[in-house]
Amino acid sequence: MRRFDYFRPKSLKEALELKKTIAGAKFISGGTDLIVQIKNRELKPSALISLRFIPELATIEINGGARIGALVTISDILQHPELGHNYPVLTEAAKSLGSVQIRNVATIGGNLCNCSPCADMALPLLVLEAKVRLQSAKASREVPISKFFKGPGESCLASNEILTDILLNPPHNKAKATFLKKGRVKVDLAIASLALLLEMEGGICRKARIAAGSVAPIPLRLSKVETLLEGAAVSEDLVSKAQHLARETVSPITDVRATEKYRRQIVGVYVKRGLEKILGQSLA
Amino acid sequence: MKTEISFILNGLEVDVTVDGHLRLIDVLRNMMSLTGTKEGCGKGECGACTVIVDGRAVNSCLYPANEIEGKSVTTIEGLQMPEHKLSKIQQAFVDHGGIQCGFCTPGMIMSAKALLDSNPNPSDKEIREALQGNLCRCTGYVQIVEAVKRAARQLKSKQ
Repeated sequence: MRRFDYFRPKSLKEALELKKTIAGAKFISGGTDLIVQIKNRELKPSALISLRFIPELATIEINGGARIGALVTISDILQHPELGHNYPVLTEAAKSLGSVQIRNVATIGGNLCNCSPCADMALPLLVLEAKVRLQSAKASREVPISKFFKGPGESCLASNEILTDILLNPPHNKAKATFLKKGRVKVDLAIASLALLLEMEGGICRKARIAAGSVAPIPLRLSKVETLLEGAAVSEDLVSKAQHLARETVSPITDVRATEKYRRQIVGVYVKRGLEKILGQSLA
Repeated sequence: MKTEISFILNGLEVDVTVDGHLRLIDVLRNMMSLTGTKEGCGKGECGACTVIVDGRAVNSCLYPANEIEGKSVTTIEGLQMPEHKLSKIQQAFVDHGGIQCGFCTPGMIMSAKALLDSNPNPSDKEIREALQGNLCRCTGYVQIVEAVKRAARQLKSKQ
């Protein structure tokens, strides 16, 4: 593998200073995507600055809502009793990410900052309307996760910033959410994936949040489909319209895993299946 | 740039000096001569390089050597019993035909060990989930799952 230096700062301040002084340096969290990209020569960093020795980045705090440190691993999320209880959709997505070996090392912050359109953790966070906290040497800002992704491998994160925390609102007791993922095999990246959150009241959909993965340049909120569902009774006719609209809204590509057409089809199927799963009834 | 790192390797404290770009598998195979750990794909897909770090199975081909500072690493060599005897898990793989060409075996056994250490009584489904990150091109997995089940029973009866 191409040579690079490796730094292990013990504080955020030190990490941000190193980033400023070393040209061509990159931050590394779990590294399960980054190391592969370096091996494939897609990235040629002069140095890696590890965030794994900064203790406060690896903690989970339940405070009505939740604060998840960016360096929390996917396995940590699965083993945290309250997170799973309050946000089961987060656990569903975490379970689907990679293999045991990957989940033990890969981090939630790394999954987001890699900015893959198929990022499994992005979808539950999108439907839960999470925020991410971005920290620079001088300031800290909070950005809604729906504004974080800009394109494949691109986010609104500036080169002098670190994503430090993921912030979740307190769970809503009427909201139910689910996560669906289609992969070639269980450990593979998503061919298409979908997270769906619904708040129902007397047979009427009060709130809908839908996000889809691997079907657009970024993990995508399907706002038009959400608007269609909100304020309406979820009938078979409405579901069929929602499926059609979802297929129209996404802009997938054909690649080694699947064709563009197949991905569109799956998104439609998953809109219906997600609604069925949450409502506990068949919408055939 | 070289860094000195200290960690526990199969129960013994070791100090090594590593370059920034080295991975845990490079340290194990090239510096410590522990060649039981194999590099298959080098991309975290096949699991042949699996070792246990602080109780958790990881891909040593994606693990920067610098990150091992202060941690405890167990490799397949660390399972050897006194008088060069095989451990229960290793023996179960031999007895059940869970080994054919043998290349995936060290990784497969380390994943199985990490599972049994945290869950001594796994279901078939749990065994298959724990081994999802380990590819075997010979056995078809049935014998491997049988071997892990046998090892679980034997480890329990020992206690």
